[in-house]
Amino acid sequence: MEIDADLKQSSLVLINQGAEARVFESIFVGRRSIIKERFSKKYRHPSLDSKLTLKRLNAEARCMTKARRLGVSTPVLYAVDPVLHSLTFEYVEGPSVKEIFLDFGAHGIIEERMDDIATQIGDAIGKLHDGGLVHGDLTTSNMLVRSGTNQLVLIDFGLSFMSTLPEDKAVDLYVLERALLSMHSSCGNVMDLILAAYKKSSKQWSSTLNKLAQVRQRGRKRTMVG
Amino acid sequence: MKVFEVNGSSLCLALFVDVTNSKELLDLMQAGTLEPEVALLNALLIPDVFPVLAAAHKTLVAKSRQSLTTKTLHSELVYNYSGSKHISESLKRCGISESSTYILVARFNASADEMTAIEKLIKGREIDLDDLEGRANQSQIQKHYKISSLELGISSVADAIVCRIAARDAL
Repeated sequence: MEIDADLKQSSLVLINQGAEARVFESIFVGRRSIIKERFSKKYRHPSLDSKLTLKRLNAEARCMTKARRLGVSTPVLYAVDPVLHSLTFEYVEGPSVKEIFLDFGAHGIIEERMDDIATQIGDAIGKLHDGGLVHGDLTTSNMLVRSGTNQLVLIDFGLSFMSTLPEDKAVDLYVLERALLSMHSSCGNVMDLILAAYKKSSKQWSSTLNKLAQVRQRGRKRTMVG
Repeated sequence: MKVFEVNGSSLCLALFVDVTNSKELLDLMQAGTLEPEVALLNALLIPDVFPVLAAAHKTLVAKSRQSLTTKTLHSELVYNYSGSKHISESLKRCGISESSTYILVARFNASADEMTAIEKLIKGREIDLDDLEGRANQSQIQKHYKISSLELGISSVADAIVCRIAARDAL
């Protein structure tokens, strides 16, 4: 029995742990894969905990596949396990946009590559938003660039939700803007490139960008006075 | 005939063209006397083996938890492959009909005897699994799984099917 358990362990390698989930690397019927397992929060009432965990698991699976239907590349979803609270998806080979931009900061910018990535980011967000999907956690570490094809792949739809409100879309962009400012200020104004591509990609860009101007004034949280 | 390793079990797959005894197979299956028990899939909807393996994985997990939705392990495979929650419709579309001539046969943990029995059971010509892609009916697949051309811009047909198989119960 012990040997068996060891064998299972060896095919599961922990690569990251966050506040909501653990991420493992594994093999899914012959293909390299990632397993994202949401764990239970001991401080919550057990029945509330399992309800919330399951709801978020299903929402993430839905949003990931919805994004693909809108023409935005995300990892292929291989399996959803409602008992173990885990998602299994494709292992995407390639660096994160964060790594690429940090490298630009350290070794100089390759303009052409940065333009390409920024355009893909703006285009992808525009498609999501027009489809009524808000990513909810747009940071450069949640964007990968597939090796070989240089295709942008969005990951981590754990905070995604459906919304058509300009407010939600503007906050989505604002979160990205803040992330770029704090992590990648040495890369120049990437956000302008992204927004230019967003304008081309989203038909509803004008109401979103108007709202973005308001959000910039007050920050991510709405003032609730009166 | 090829054997794949899925979740600690094995799945044996064989692809047949020019099958002449579909009606007989269908009758035996509906009577529950098909020996050995196999899954018969409409291969026109299968562009690659990987979606079948993903469906098989899902089937084995459900089996291990004794939570099969359909009556048998092999009908569950057909149901899971369909990516839909409608059981009878799934079996009709992704299973075989009286007039089917192009069939993928699947059996979990088949013994050597069972494999030869399967080859005798199907009256048709066995071909290589690599032929799946070329023989699949693209428009039928796109219609059944509701795959838009927008999605095909970033995804293969097989990957799009895998996503639907995996996400079915989350929808």
